[in-house]
Amino acid sequence: MLLEVQGIGKIFGGLAALEEVSFSIQQGEILGLIGPNGAGKTTLFNVITSFLYPTSGDIFFKGEKISGLKTQAITQKGITRTFQNIRLFEQMTVEENVMVGRHSRSRAGVLGSVFRTAVQKNEEARIRERTEYFLGMVGLAGYNEWPAVSLPYGLQRRVEIARALAGEPQLILLDEPVAGMNESETDEIAELIRKIQGLGITVLLIEHDMTMVMKLCDRLVVLNFGQKIAEGTPQQIQNDPEVIEAYLGQEEEE
Amino acid sequence: MINPYYLQIASFILINILLGISIYITLATGQLSLGNAGFMSIGAYTSALLTTKLGVPIPIGMMIGALLAGLFGILIGIPTLRLHGVYLAIATLGFGEVVRVIFINWESMTSGAVGVAGIPHLGRTILAGVQKQGFSPETWGLKNNEFTGLVVFLILLLITLSVIVFFARLNRSRVGRAFQAIRQDEKAASAMGINTTYYKILTFSQGAVLAGFAGALFAHVTGYISPADFTYHRAVEILVFAVFGGGEILWGPIFGATFLTIMPEMLRSLSEYRYMIYGAVLVLMMVFRPQGFIDADLILRLKGKKKEKVYAA
Repeated sequence: MLLEVQGIGKIFGGLAALEEVSFSIQQGEILGLIGPNGAGKTTLFNVITSFLYPTSGDIFFKGEKISGLKTQAITQKGITRTFQNIRLFEQMTVEENVMVGRHSRSRAGVLGSVFRTAVQKNEEARIRERTEYFLGMVGLAGYNEWPAVSLPYGLQRRVEIARALAGEPQLILLDEPVAGMNESETDEIAELIRKIQGLGITVLLIEHDMTMVMKLCDRLVVLNFGQKIAEGTPQQIQNDPEVIEAYLGQEEEE
Repeated sequence: MINPYYLQIASFILINILLGISIYITLATGQLSLGNAGFMSIGAYTSALLTTKLGVPIPIGMMIGALLAGLFGILIGIPTLRLHGVYLAIATLGFGEVVRVIFINWESMTSGAVGVAGIPHLGRTILAGVQKQGFSPETWGLKNNEFTGLVVFLILLLITLSVIVFFARLNRSRVGRAFQAIRQDEKAASAMGINTTYYKILTFSQGAVLAGFAGALFAHVTGYISPADFTYHRAVEILVFAVFGGGEILWGPIFGATFLTIMPEMLRSLSEYRYMIYGAVLVLMMVFRPQGFIDADLILRLKGKKKEKVYAA
Protein backbone atom coordinates (compact mmCIF):
# COMPACT_ATOMS: atom_id res chain seq x y z
CA MET A 1 0.00 0.00 0.00
CA LEU A 2 1.70 3.21 -1.14
CA LEU A 3 -0.97 5.76 -0.25
CA GLU A 4 -3.97 5.30 2.00
CA VAL A 5 -6.74 7.86 2.12
CA GLN A 6 -8.90 7.23 5.18
CA GLY A 7 -12.22 8.92 5.70
CA ILE A 8 -11.18 12.27 4.30
CA GLY A 9 -13.70 15.07 4.63
CA LYS A 10 -13.31 18.68 3.61
CA ILE A 11 -15.92 21.27 4.43
CA PHE A 12 -15.93 24.73 2.87
CA GLY A 13 -18.19 26.97 4.96
CA GLY A 14 -20.95 24.42 5.42
CA LEU A 15 -20.54 22.81 2.01
CA ALA A 16 -18.98 19.36 2.06
CA ALA A 17 -16.56 19.19 -0.85
CA LEU A 18 -15.38 15.77 0.30
CA GLU A 19 -17.19 13.35 2.58
CA GLU A 20 -15.71 10.19 4.11
CA VAL A 21 -13.55 9.44 1.09
CA SER A 22 -11.40 6.33 1.54
CA PHE A 23 -9.30 4.40 -0.96
CA SER A 24 -5.77 3.23 -1.36
CA ILE A 25 -3.17 3.20 -4.08
CA GLN A 26 -0.98 0.17 -4.76
CA GLN A 27 2.68 0.54 -5.50
CA GLY A 28 3.28 0.83 -9.25
CA GLU A 29 -0.30 1.19 -10.49
CA ILE A 30 -2.01 3.91 -12.47
CA LEU A 31 -5.08 4.91 -10.53
CA GLY A 32 -7.66 7.11 -12.24
CA LEU A 33 -9.73 9.55 -10.21
CA ILE A 34 -12.86 10.39 -12.18
CA GLY A 35 -16.17 12.07 -11.62
CA PRO A 36 -18.28 14.93 -12.96
CA ASN A 37 -17.17 18.54 -12.60
CA GLY A 38 -17.31 19.69 -9.01
CA ALA A 39 -17.09 16.14 -7.66
CA GLY A 40 -14.12 17.09 -5.49
CA LYS A 41 -11.26 15.53 -7.46
CA THR A 42 -8.94 18.56 -7.42
CA THR A 43 -9.90 19.24 -3.79
CA LEU A 44 -8.71 15.73 -3.00
CA PHE A 45 -5.39 16.43 -4.79
CA ASN A 46 -5.07 19.62 -2.79
CA VAL A 47 -5.71 17.72 0.44
CA ILE A 48 -3.17 15.00 -0.39
CA THR A 49 -0.49 17.66 -1.08
CA SER A 50 -1.54 19.85 1.90
CA PHE A 51 -2.55 22.76 -0.28
CA LEU A 52 -5.66 22.35 1.85
CA TYR A 53 -5.95 20.62 5.20
CA PRO A 54 -8.74 18.05 5.61
CA THR A 55 -11.56 18.71 8.03
CA SER A 56 -11.55 15.05 9.02
CA GLY A 57 -9.69 11.86 8.18
CA ASP A 58 -6.06 10.91 7.68
CA ILE A 59 -3.71 10.17 4.83
CA PHE A 60 -0.86 7.69 5.08
CA PHE A 61 2.08 7.44 2.69
CA LYS A 62 4.11 4.25 3.03
CA GLY A 63 2.44 3.70 6.39
CA GLU A 64 3.37 7.12 7.71
CA LYS A 65 0.76 9.77 8.43
CA ILE A 66 1.27 12.75 6.13
CA SER A 67 -1.96 14.69 6.55
CA GLY A 68 -1.15 17.85 8.49
CA LEU A 69 2.39 18.10 7.15
CA LYS A 70 3.37 21.14 5.10
CA THR A 71 3.35 20.94 1.31
CA GLN A 72 7.14 21.02 1.06
CA ALA A 73 7.47 18.14 3.52
CA ILE A 74 5.10 16.02 1.44
CA THR A 75 7.12 16.76 -1.70
CA GLN A 76 10.23 15.80 0.23
CA LYS A 77 8.64 12.46 1.12
CA GLY A 78 8.10 11.67 -2.55
CA ILE A 79 4.75 12.99 -3.76
CA THR A 80 4.78 15.59 -6.53
CA ARG A 81 2.00 17.01 -8.67
CA THR A 82 0.93 19.02 -11.67
CA PHE A 83 -1.86 21.56 -11.74
CA GLN A 84 -5.14 21.68 -13.62
CA ASN A 85 -4.63 25.39 -14.33
CA ILE A 86 -0.97 25.32 -15.32
CA ARG A 87 1.24 26.93 -12.69
CA LEU A 88 4.65 27.25 -14.29
CA PHE A 89 7.06 29.87 -13.00
CA GLU A 90 6.26 32.43 -15.64
CA GLN A 91 9.49 34.36 -15.80
CA MET A 92 11.69 31.30 -15.98
CA THR A 93 12.89 29.29 -18.91
CA VAL A 94 11.73 25.73 -19.48
CA GLU A 95 15.00 24.44 -18.05
CA GLU A 96 14.86 26.63 -14.95
CA ASN A 97 11.33 25.44 -14.22
CA VAL A 98 12.46 21.83 -14.25
CA MET A 99 15.58 22.67 -12.22
CA VAL A 100 13.38 24.21 -9.52
CA GLY A 101 11.48 20.92 -9.50
CA ARG A 102 14.65 19.28 -8.27
CA HIS A 103 14.85 21.51 -5.20
CA SER A 104 13.67 18.77 -2.87
CA ARG A 105 16.43 16.43 -4.08
CA SER A 106 19.30 18.88 -3.63
CA ARG A 107 20.69 20.70 -0.63
CA ALA A 108 23.16 23.49 -1.51
CA GLY A 109 22.80 26.44 0.87
CA VAL A 110 23.81 30.08 0.68
CA LEU A 111 27.52 29.63 1.34
CA GLY A 112 27.91 26.64 -0.96
CA SER A 113 26.11 28.54 -3.71
CA VAL A 114 28.20 31.69 -3.34
CA PHE A 115 31.59 30.03 -2.94
CA ARG A 116 30.85 27.31 -5.50
CA THR A 117 32.21 24.44 -3.46
CA ALA A 118 33.02 21.14 -5.15
CA VAL A 119 29.94 19.58 -3.56
CA GLN A 120 27.75 22.37 -4.91
CA LYS A 121 29.24 22.12 -8.41
CA ASN A 122 28.65 18.38 -8.52
CA GLU A 123 25.13 18.83 -7.32
CA GLU A 124 24.43 21.54 -9.90
CA ALA A 125 25.82 19.30 -12.65
CA ARG A 126 23.56 16.49 -11.44
CA ILE A 127 20.56 18.86 -11.45
CA ARG A 128 21.30 19.76 -15.07
CA GLU A 129 21.82 16.14 -16.05
CA ARG A 130 18.49 15.05 -14.55
CA THR A 131 16.77 18.11 -16.05
CA GLU A 132 18.07 17.11 -19.49
CA TYR A 133 16.87 13.56 -18.91
CA PHE A 134 13.34 14.52 -17.93
CA LEU A 135 13.05 17.15 -20.66
CA GLY A 136 14.01 14.47 -23.14
CA MET A 137 11.54 12.04 -21.61
CA VAL A 138 8.58 14.42 -21.99
CA GLY A 139 9.69 15.30 -25.52
CA LEU A 140 11.07 18.77 -24.86
CA ALA A 141 14.76 18.21 -25.59
CA GLY A 142 16.20 21.40 -27.04
CA TYR A 143 13.59 23.68 -25.48
CA ASN A 144 15.84 24.47 -22.50
CA GLU A 145 16.29 28.19 -23.05
CA TRP A 146 12.72 28.97 -24.08
CA PRO A 147 10.65 31.13 -21.77
CA ALA A 148 8.20 28.59 -20.34
CA VAL A 149 5.12 30.69 -21.02
CA SER A 150 6.03 31.18 -24.69
CA LEU A 151 5.35 27.49 -25.35
CA PRO A 152 1.98 26.28 -26.63
CA TYR A 153 -0.41 25.06 -23.96
CA GLY A 154 0.18 21.37 -24.61
CA LEU A 155 3.94 21.74 -24.24
CA GLN A 156 3.51 23.74 -21.04
CA ARG A 157 1.72 20.71 -19.58
CA ARG A 158 4.74 18.62 -20.50
CA VAL A 159 7.03 21.10 -18.72
CA GLU A 160 4.86 20.69 -15.63
CA ILE A 161 5.17 16.91 -15.84
CA ALA A 162 8.96 17.15 -16.25
CA ARG A 163 9.10 19.53 -13.29
CA ALA A 164 7.10 17.10 -11.15
CA LEU A 165 9.33 14.20 -12.26
CA ALA A 166 12.46 16.17 -11.40
CA GLY A 167 11.54 15.80 -7.74
CA GLU A 168 12.09 12.01 -8.14
CA PRO A 169 8.66 11.17 -6.72
CA GLN A 170 7.37 7.74 -5.82
CA LEU A 171 3.84 8.98 -6.42
CA ILE A 172 2.96 11.59 -9.04
CA LEU A 173 -0.42 13.32 -9.11
CA LEU A 174 -1.46 14.47 -12.58
CA ASP A 175 -4.42 16.85 -12.71
CA GLU A 176 -6.07 16.63 -16.14
CA PRO A 177 -2.87 16.25 -18.17
CA VAL A 178 -4.69 16.03 -21.51
CA ALA A 179 -7.33 18.73 -20.99
CA GLY A 180 -7.87 20.55 -24.27
CA MET A 181 -5.66 18.22 -26.29
CA ASN A 182 -6.55 16.48 -29.53
CA GLU A 183 -6.50 12.71 -29.98
CA SER A 184 -2.91 12.30 -31.11
CA GLU A 185 -1.60 14.58 -28.36
CA THR A 186 -3.67 12.60 -25.87
CA ASP A 187 -2.12 9.36 -27.12
CA GLU A 188 1.35 10.84 -26.68
CA ILE A 189 0.61 11.83 -23.10
CA ALA A 190 -0.86 8.37 -22.39
CA GLU A 191 2.35 6.90 -23.76
CA LEU A 192 4.34 9.26 -21.50
CA ILE A 193 2.32 8.19 -18.45
CA ARG A 194 3.13 4.55 -19.23
CA LYS A 195 6.80 5.49 -19.41
CA ILE A 196 6.47 7.16 -16.01
CA GLN A 197 4.94 3.97 -14.67
CA GLY A 198 7.87 2.13 -16.27
CA LEU A 199 10.23 4.12 -14.05
CA GLY A 200 8.50 2.56 -11.05
CA ILE A 201 6.54 5.69 -10.25
CA THR A 202 2.96 5.25 -9.11
CA VAL A 203 0.47 7.52 -10.86
CA LEU A 204 -2.72 9.11 -9.56
CA LEU A 205 -4.54 10.69 -12.46
CA ILE A 206 -7.52 13.02 -12.71
CA GLU A 207 -8.93 12.94 -16.21
CA HIS A 208 -12.16 13.56 -18.06
CA ASP A 209 -11.15 11.82 -21.28
CA MET A 210 -12.91 8.47 -20.71
CA THR A 211 -11.36 6.69 -23.68
CA MET A 212 -7.92 7.43 -22.32
CA VAL A 213 -8.81 6.65 -18.72
CA MET A 214 -10.36 3.30 -19.59
CA LYS A 215 -7.36 2.26 -21.68
CA LEU A 216 -4.65 3.58 -19.37
CA CYS A 217 -5.72 3.05 -15.78
CA ASP A 218 -5.33 -0.14 -13.78
CA ARG A 219 -8.08 0.88 -11.39
CA LEU A 220 -10.51 3.75 -11.03
CA VAL A 221 -12.04 5.63 -8.14
CA VAL A 222 -15.24 7.52 -8.91
CA LEU A 223 -16.29 10.60 -6.97
CA ASN A 224 -19.65 12.31 -7.13
CA PHE A 225 -20.68 15.27 -4.96
CA GLY A 226 -17.67 14.70 -2.75
CA GLN A 227 -18.41 11.05 -2.08
CA LYS A 228 -16.78 7.93 -3.43
CA ILE A 229 -19.45 6.06 -5.34
CA ALA A 230 -17.38 3.30 -6.88
CA GLU A 231 -13.93 1.76 -7.07
CA GLY A 232 -12.62 -0.98 -9.32
CA THR A 233 -11.15 -1.92 -12.68
CA PRO A 234 -12.24 0.06 -15.75
CA GLN A 235 -14.35 -2.97 -16.68
CA GLN A 236 -16.19 -2.97 -13.35
CA ILE A 237 -16.66 0.80 -13.39
CA GLN A 238 -18.14 0.78 -16.88
CA ASN A 239 -20.76 -1.69 -15.71
CA ASP A 240 -21.48 -0.11 -12.33
CA PRO A 241 -25.11 1.06 -12.35
CA GLU A 242 -24.49 3.88 -9.88
CA VAL A 243 -21.63 5.24 -11.97
CA ILE A 244 -23.66 5.00 -15.12
CA GLU A 245 -26.47 6.88 -13.46
CA ALA A 246 -24.27 9.56 -11.94
CA TYR A 247 -21.83 10.07 -14.69
CA LEU A 248 -21.58 7.91 -17.74
CA GLY A 249 -25.34 7.65 -17.86
CA GLN A 250 -25.61 10.94 -19.66
CA GLU A 251 -23.75 9.47 -22.58
CA GLU A 252 -25.94 6.40 -22.81
CA GLU A 253 -29.08 8.47 -23.04
CA GLU A 254 -27.85 10.26 -26.13
CA MET B 1 41.28 63.84 -11.23
CA ILE B 2 41.26 62.93 -7.55
CA ASN B 3 38.77 65.51 -6.44
CA PRO B 4 37.52 64.92 -2.86
CA TYR B 5 34.06 66.17 -3.86
CA TYR B 6 33.71 63.67 -6.69
CA LEU B 7 35.10 60.92 -4.52
CA GLN B 8 32.52 61.68 -1.86
CA ILE B 9 29.69 61.52 -4.39
CA ALA B 10 31.11 58.25 -5.70
CA SER B 11 31.19 56.92 -2.14
CA PHE B 12 27.56 57.87 -1.59
CA ILE B 13 26.66 56.16 -4.86
CA LEU B 14 28.27 52.98 -3.59
CA ILE B 15 26.48 53.15 -0.23
CA ASN B 16 23.21 53.75 -2.08
CA ILE B 17 23.91 50.76 -4.32
CA LEU B 18 24.25 48.62 -1.20
CA LEU B 19 20.94 50.01 0.07
CA GLY B 20 19.32 49.39 -3.30
CA ILE B 21 20.52 45.78 -3.27
CA SER B 22 19.27 45.41 0.31
CA ILE B 23 15.69 46.08 -0.79
CA TYR B 24 16.15 44.05 -3.98
CA ILE B 25 17.17 40.95 -2.06
CA THR B 26 14.06 41.08 0.11
CA LEU B 27 11.96 41.68 -3.01
CA ALA B 28 13.54 38.59 -4.55
CA THR B 29 11.06 36.47 -2.60
CA GLY B 30 8.25 38.92 -3.31
CA GLN B 31 8.39 40.81 -0.01
CA LEU B 32 8.22 44.58 -0.21
CA SER B 33 10.03 45.85 2.89
CA LEU B 34 10.20 49.55 3.66
CA GLY B 35 12.02 48.88 6.90
CA ASN B 36 15.48 49.13 5.40
CA ALA B 37 15.96 52.71 6.58
CA GLY B 38 15.26 51.34 10.07
CA PHE B 39 17.78 48.51 9.67
CA MET B 40 20.23 51.04 8.25
CA SER B 41 19.85 53.22 11.35
CA ILE B 42 20.38 50.21 13.66
CA GLY B 43 23.64 49.42 11.87
CA ALA B 44 24.69 53.07 11.85
CA TYR B 45 23.92 53.80 15.52
CA THR B 46 25.35 50.52 16.79
CA SER B 47 28.66 50.99 15.03
CA ALA B 48 28.80 54.74 15.78
CA LEU B 49 28.14 54.28 19.50
CA LEU B 50 30.48 51.29 19.87
CA THR B 51 33.36 53.13 18.21
CA THR B 52 32.84 56.54 19.83
CA LYS B 53 31.88 55.44 23.36
CA LEU B 54 33.78 52.19 23.77
CA GLY B 55 36.63 52.69 21.32
CA VAL B 56 35.79 49.49 19.43
CA PRO B 57 37.73 49.26 16.12
CA ILE B 58 35.67 50.39 13.12
CA PRO B 59 35.50 47.01 11.29
CA ILE B 60 34.28 45.24 14.41
CA GLY B 61 31.74 47.97 15.13
CA MET B 62 30.42 47.66 11.57
CA MET B 63 30.16 43.87 11.81
CA ILE B 64 28.25 44.07 15.08
CA GLY B 65 26.00 46.78 13.62
CA ALA B 66 25.21 44.68 10.56
CA LEU B 67 24.58 41.53 12.61
CA LEU B 68 22.34 43.37 15.05
CA ALA B 69 20.35 44.76 12.13
CA GLY B 70 20.10 41.19 10.78
CA LEU B 71 18.85 39.98 14.17
CA PHE B 72 16.12 42.60 14.06
CA GLY B 73 15.44 41.48 10.50
CA ILE B 74 14.68 37.98 11.74
CA LEU B 75 12.58 39.34 14.62
CA ILE B 76 10.53 41.51 12.26
CA GLY B 77 10.54 38.96 9.44
CA ILE B 78 8.87 36.15 11.37
CA PRO B 79 5.69 37.93 12.53
CA THR B 80 5.27 39.74 9.20
CA LEU B 81 5.49 36.50 7.15
CA ARG B 82 1.75 36.41 6.73
CA LEU B 83 1.63 39.94 5.38
CA HIS B 84 1.80 40.56 1.67
CA GLY B 85 2.27 43.51 -0.62
CA VAL B 86 1.22 46.86 0.71
CA TYR B 87 0.40 45.49 4.19
CA LEU B 88 3.94 44.29 4.64
CA ALA B 89 5.19 47.64 3.31
CA ILE B 90 3.16 49.56 5.89
CA ALA B 91 4.18 47.27 8.76
CA THR B 92 7.89 47.56 7.94
CA LEU B 93 7.61 51.31 7.41
CA GLY B 94 6.06 51.47 10.87
CA PHE B 95 8.99 49.49 12.25
CA GLY B 96 11.43 52.01 10.76
CA GLU B 97 9.57 54.90 12.37
CA VAL B 98 9.51 53.14 15.76
CA VAL B 99 13.27 52.65 15.60
CA ARG B 100 13.78 56.30 14.69
CA VAL B 101 11.58 57.52 17.53
CA ILE B 102 13.53 55.31 19.95
CA PHE B 103 16.79 56.87 18.77
CA ILE B 104 15.30 60.35 19.25
CA ASN B 105 14.08 59.65 22.78
CA TRP B 106 16.90 57.51 24.12
CA GLU B 107 18.85 60.68 24.80
CA SER B 108 21.29 59.31 27.39
CA MET B 109 22.63 56.94 24.75
CA THR B 110 22.03 58.59 21.39
CA SER B 111 21.94 62.34 22.24
CA GLY B 112 18.43 62.35 20.78
CA ALA B 113 17.67 64.58 17.86
CA VAL B 114 21.11 66.19 18.09
CA GLY B 115 22.65 63.00 16.79
CA VAL B 116 26.02 61.34 17.27
CA ALA B 117 29.00 63.48 16.27
CA GLY B 118 32.69 62.74 16.17
CA ILE B 119 32.27 59.21 14.84
CA PRO B 120 35.69 57.87 13.79
CA HIS B 121 36.05 58.54 10.07
CA LEU B 122 37.04 55.52 8.03
CA GLY B 123 39.50 57.41 5.80
CA ARG B 124 41.07 59.53 8.52
CA THR B 125 41.49 56.50 10.80
CA ILE B 126 43.35 54.71 8.05
CA LEU B 127 45.41 57.85 7.33
CA ALA B 128 46.40 58.06 11.00
CA GLY B 129 47.29 54.38 10.90
CA VAL B 130 49.54 54.59 7.86
CA GLN B 131 51.14 57.82 9.08
CA LYS B 132 52.16 55.95 12.22
CA GLN B 133 53.90 53.49 9.94
CA GLY B 134 55.82 56.42 8.50
CA PHE B 135 53.83 56.67 5.25
CA SER B 136 52.79 60.03 3.98
CA PRO B 137 50.23 60.56 1.20
CA GLU B 138 52.76 63.05 -0.23
CA THR B 139 54.70 60.05 -1.52
CA TRP B 140 51.83 59.42 -3.94
CA GLY B 141 51.50 63.13 -4.60
CA LEU B 142 48.21 63.30 -2.69
CA LYS B 143 46.94 65.78 -0.13
CA ASN B 144 45.57 64.28 3.08
CA ASN B 145 41.93 64.82 2.17
CA GLU B 146 42.52 63.40 -1.31
CA PHE B 147 44.08 60.32 0.26
CA THR B 148 41.22 59.76 2.70
CA GLY B 149 38.61 60.25 -0.02
CA LEU B 150 40.41 57.81 -2.28
CA VAL B 151 40.87 55.19 0.43
CA VAL B 152 37.20 55.36 1.42
CA PHE B 153 36.13 55.11 -2.20
CA LEU B 154 38.35 52.10 -2.87
CA ILE B 155 37.20 50.27 0.26
CA LEU B 156 33.57 50.91 -0.61
CA LEU B 157 34.19 49.83 -4.19
CA LEU B 158 35.71 46.58 -3.00
CA ILE B 159 32.82 45.95 -0.61
CA THR B 160 30.19 46.79 -3.22
CA LEU B 161 31.78 44.57 -5.84
CA SER B 162 31.96 41.72 -3.34
CA VAL B 163 28.30 42.18 -2.47
CA ILE B 164 27.36 42.22 -6.16
CA VAL B 165 29.35 39.05 -6.84
CA PHE B 166 27.80 37.45 -3.74
CA PHE B 167 24.24 38.03 -4.87
CA ALA B 168 24.91 37.42 -8.56
CA ARG B 169 26.27 34.00 -7.67
CA LEU B 170 23.50 33.33 -5.21
CA ASN B 171 20.95 34.13 -7.91
CA ARG B 172 22.45 31.57 -10.26
CA SER B 173 22.09 28.70 -7.83
CA ARG B 174 19.56 26.42 -6.20
CA VAL B 175 18.94 29.07 -3.56
CA GLY B 176 18.42 31.85 -6.12
CA ARG B 177 16.04 29.67 -8.12
CA ALA B 178 14.07 29.04 -4.93
CA PHE B 179 13.84 32.82 -4.35
CA GLN B 180 12.52 33.36 -7.87
CA ALA B 181 10.07 30.49 -7.60
CA ILE B 182 8.64 31.93 -4.37
CA ARG B 183 8.28 35.38 -5.92
CA GLN B 184 6.50 34.03 -8.98
CA ASP B 185 4.17 31.51 -7.34
CA GLU B 186 4.56 30.78 -3.65
CA LYS B 187 2.18 27.80 -3.53
CA ALA B 188 3.73 26.16 -6.58
CA ALA B 189 7.15 26.78 -5.03
CA SER B 190 6.16 24.87 -1.90
CA ALA B 191 5.00 22.02 -4.13
CA MET B 192 8.60 21.86 -5.40
CA GLY B 193 9.65 21.10 -1.83
CA ILE B 194 10.84 24.65 -1.20
CA ASN B 195 10.62 25.72 2.44
CA THR B 196 9.07 29.09 1.67
CA THR B 197 9.15 30.27 5.29
CA TYR B 198 12.89 29.68 5.58
CA TYR B 199 13.76 31.43 2.33
CA LYS B 200 11.50 34.40 3.03
CA ILE B 201 13.06 34.98 6.42
CA LEU B 202 16.49 34.39 4.88
CA THR B 203 16.03 37.16 2.31
CA PHE B 204 14.44 39.44 4.86
CA SER B 205 17.39 39.13 7.21
CA GLN B 206 19.93 39.29 4.38
CA GLY B 207 18.36 42.58 3.35
CA ALA B 208 18.51 43.76 6.96
CA VAL B 209 22.18 42.79 7.37
CA LEU B 210 23.10 44.58 4.17
CA ALA B 211 21.11 47.70 5.07
CA GLY B 212 22.68 47.68 8.54
CA PHE B 213 26.14 47.33 7.03
CA ALA B 214 25.46 50.18 4.61
CA GLY B 215 24.26 52.25 7.58
CA ALA B 216 27.47 51.55 9.49
CA LEU B 217 29.52 52.56 6.44
CA PHE B 218 27.43 55.71 6.15
CA ALA B 219 28.20 56.58 9.78
CA HIS B 220 31.95 56.17 9.31
CA VAL B 221 32.03 58.01 6.01
CA THR B 222 30.06 61.06 7.14
CA GLY B 223 31.30 61.07 10.74
CA TYR B 224 27.93 62.31 11.96
CA ILE B 225 24.49 60.71 12.14
CA SER B 226 21.15 61.82 13.51
CA PRO B 227 17.63 60.38 13.42
CA ALA B 228 16.89 62.79 10.56
CA ASP B 229 19.11 60.63 8.32
CA PHE B 230 16.74 57.70 8.69
CA THR B 231 13.25 59.11 8.21
CA TYR B 232 10.68 57.56 5.93
CA HIS B 233 12.11 59.79 3.19
CA ARG B 234 15.15 57.53 3.31
CA ALA B 235 12.93 54.42 3.22
CA VAL B 236 11.15 55.73 0.15
CA GLU B 237 14.42 56.79 -1.47
CA ILE B 238 15.77 53.24 -1.09
CA LEU B 239 12.54 51.86 -2.53
CA VAL B 240 12.79 54.21 -5.49
CA PHE B 241 16.28 52.90 -6.34
CA ALA B 242 14.72 49.49 -6.90
CA VAL B 243 11.51 50.70 -8.50
CA PHE B 244 13.26 53.11 -10.87
CA GLY B 245 16.12 50.81 -11.82
CA GLY B 246 14.00 47.67 -11.85
CA GLY B 247 13.31 45.40 -8.91
CA GLU B 248 13.53 42.01 -10.59
CA ILE B 249 17.14 42.00 -11.72
CA LEU B 250 20.18 42.65 -9.54
CA TRP B 251 21.40 45.30 -12.00
CA GLY B 252 18.18 47.26 -11.61
CA PRO B 253 18.76 48.77 -8.15
CA ILE B 254 22.46 49.21 -8.96
CA PHE B 255 21.54 51.35 -11.93
CA GLY B 256 18.74 53.09 -10.02
CA ALA B 257 20.99 54.02 -7.09
CA THR B 258 23.74 55.27 -9.38
CA PHE B 259 21.51 57.33 -11.63
CA LEU B 260 19.39 58.81 -8.86
CA THR B 261 22.44 59.77 -6.78
CA ILE B 262 24.26 61.41 -9.67
CA MET B 263 21.30 63.25 -11.16
CA PRO B 264 20.61 65.72 -8.31
CA GLU B 265 24.36 66.44 -8.15
CA MET B 266 24.53 67.15 -11.88
CA LEU B 267 21.54 69.45 -11.57
CA ARG B 268 22.90 71.22 -8.49
CA SER B 269 23.09 74.52 -10.39
CA LEU B 270 19.30 74.47 -10.72
CA SER B 271 19.01 74.54 -6.92
CA GLU B 272 15.43 73.88 -5.82
CA TYR B 273 14.22 72.97 -9.28
CA ARG B 274 16.33 69.82 -9.40
CA TYR B 275 13.95 67.87 -7.20
CA MET B 276 11.12 68.82 -9.53
CA ILE B 277 13.10 67.28 -12.35
CA TYR B 278 13.84 64.27 -10.14
CA GLY B 279 10.10 63.87 -9.58
CA ALA B 280 9.29 64.33 -13.26
CA VAL B 281 11.82 61.65 -14.22
CA LEU B 282 10.19 59.24 -11.80
CA VAL B 283 6.73 59.96 -13.18
CA LEU B 284 7.93 59.46 -16.76
CA MET B 285 9.58 56.23 -15.75
CA MET B 286 6.39 54.90 -14.22
CA VAL B 287 4.47 55.81 -17.37
CA PHE B 288 6.87 54.31 -19.89
CA ARG B 289 8.66 51.56 -17.99
CA PRO B 290 6.61 50.61 -14.93
CA GLN B 291 8.75 47.51 -14.42
CA GLY B 292 11.82 49.74 -13.96
CA PHE B 293 14.60 50.68 -16.33
CA ILE B 294 16.34 47.32 -16.32
CA ASP B 295 14.30 44.13 -16.62
CA ALA B 296 14.93 40.55 -17.71
CA ASP B 297 13.94 41.37 -21.29
CA LEU B 298 16.52 44.14 -21.58
CA ILE B 299 19.28 41.89 -20.25
CA LEU B 300 18.36 39.17 -22.75
CA ARG B 301 18.38 41.69 -25.58
CA LEU B 302 21.78 43.03 -24.50
CA LYS B 303 23.10 39.49 -24.54
CA GLY B 304 21.55 39.03 -27.98
CA LYS B 305 19.71 35.97 -26.78
CA LYS B 306 16.19 37.27 -27.30
CA LYS B 307 13.94 34.50 -28.52
CA GLU B 308 10.95 35.16 -30.67
CA LYS B 309 7.75 34.42 -28.85
CA VAL B 310 5.94 31.34 -30.08
CA TYR B 311 2.21 31.03 -30.03
CA ALA B 312 0.06 27.94 -29.89
CA ALA B 313 -1.05 26.80 -33.30
